[in-house]
Amino acid sequence: MSGTFTRGALASSFVRLFLIQGSWNYHTMLGCGFAFAMLPGLRSLHGADAEEMTESLGRHVELFNAHPYLAGAALGAVLELERTGADAETVRRFKLAVRGPLGSLGDALVWASWLPALSVLALTLYWAGLPGWLAVAAFLGIYNIGHVGLRLWCFRVGLAEGRDVGRRLARADLGRWTDRLKGVGALSVGALVGVLLARDGGFADAGVPWMALAIAAFLAGLRLGHRAWRPAAVVAVGAIVLLTAVGIVR
Amino acid sequence: METVQLTLLGGLLALDGTSVGQFMMSRPLVAGALVGWVVGDPALGLSVGAILELYLLVSFPTGGSRFPEGATASVVAVASAAVSVAPGAVPLGIAVGLVWGQLGGFSITWLRHANSRLVPEPTRAPRRSGDVTSAHALALLMDFARGAAVTLSGLLVGRLVVGSFAAAWALAPGASAGLLLLGGTVSAGILLRDLGGFRRRHALLATGMALGILGARLL
Repeated sequence: MSGTFTRGALASSFVRLFLIQGSWNYHTMLGCGFAFAMLPGLRSLHGADAEEMTESLGRHVELFNAHPYLAGAALGAVLELERTGADAETVRRFKLAVRGPLGSLGDALVWASWLPALSVLALTLYWAGLPGWLAVAAFLGIYNIGHVGLRLWCFRVGLAEGRDVGRRLARADLGRWTDRLKGVGALSVGALVGVLLARDGGFADAGVPWMALAIAAFLAGLRLGHRAWRPAAVVAVGAIVLLTAVGIVR
Repeated sequence: METVQLTLLGGLLALDGTSVGQFMMSRPLVAGALVGWVVGDPALGLSVGAILELYLLVSFPTGGSRFPEGATASVVAVASAAVSVAPGAVPLGIAVGLVWGQLGGFSITWLRHANSRLVPEPTRAPRRSGDVTSAHALALLMDFARGAAVTLSGLLVGRLVVGSFAAAWALAPGASAGLLLLGGTVSAGILLRDLGGFRRRHALLATGMALGILGARLL
């Protein structure tokens, strides 16, 4: 079989990509969301052939996972495989092969680099004295240009390359982009610490002991990593409760 | 009326967290600004949102991990802090927000287990495409309801706590700011480790610090 997709069906599948995590679960992970995003394309391909549709849907509700922004590469490629009439086993193996790389690549690029770099930058600008709405607008605007652009690029690459989508992603060298973004993030963390230490209303106003504590807290986070987060939050909440209780007793 | 608006906003922002779009409207800085606008105090919303953003800098919806929910935490924290002008309103609002962020994280885990029973079973192919669509739509609706319920419960508790105890706060304003920012600086340290660590990034860190100090003095 070698059908074609209508422009509307592809547009609809792309829009549904934004909802792909809507039924995320511990059993099939993105499986149901992936099938949901496939539906317009499959309808366009199989038309009124209910048997083909049922068979195809059965393949796509199976266990699948990927970073949500990069899942479009798999979606586009699987739509292309379906269009060219690839057999069920080929589609299954393809999905199995791409789900790990699309997850780890996306986590490193987006969650561990793009988002924190821009979050820290927005906080730095806000605390440095930029109007708050401007910091928020800049964060949302810049972040989502990258976000929507990445989703669109991945979907188009998937549709164009089909089962060779992995090679195209490798050529794009997303790892290099990740490293650059992490560099921007580190620069922003430095700027944030500098602003917090120097600005009015920050540690400078709180006094030298608070500055010393802030540096110690920063170093603790740097040394212990994610293990330090929960204890730090518990200590912060505990200190607030304690200081309120002291005030009540007084 | 405001409670209804905030509850619905909490549900919508919770959807943005993972289920719909992930346009980062749910990040505390953005959510805080939105809630501040709803409660009529945008400056408070931004200030509380920024502190929560600092705390949750290293909290991202990675894979199937459990993470504190920034959206509901921000709605609860800002709306609670807005109840009183007493010095303890912001610290207590943030404390309740952090606790509710954790509860939000637990509720996401619960929802994902519930979704496991809801989605079509792969070994039994769905008869109609409608089976997939309705399961997905119901999961989205449940996530909205979850976010709204977490927000509403947080609003009730947070406003009661802040209204009752904010006046008892025992620290001066400068020290209060120091205390609130302190926990967040731990997150900044964790983030630097995630971004490559001190040894690899020390030159960028030092350059950034110099720029930050200069920027704070100039702006």
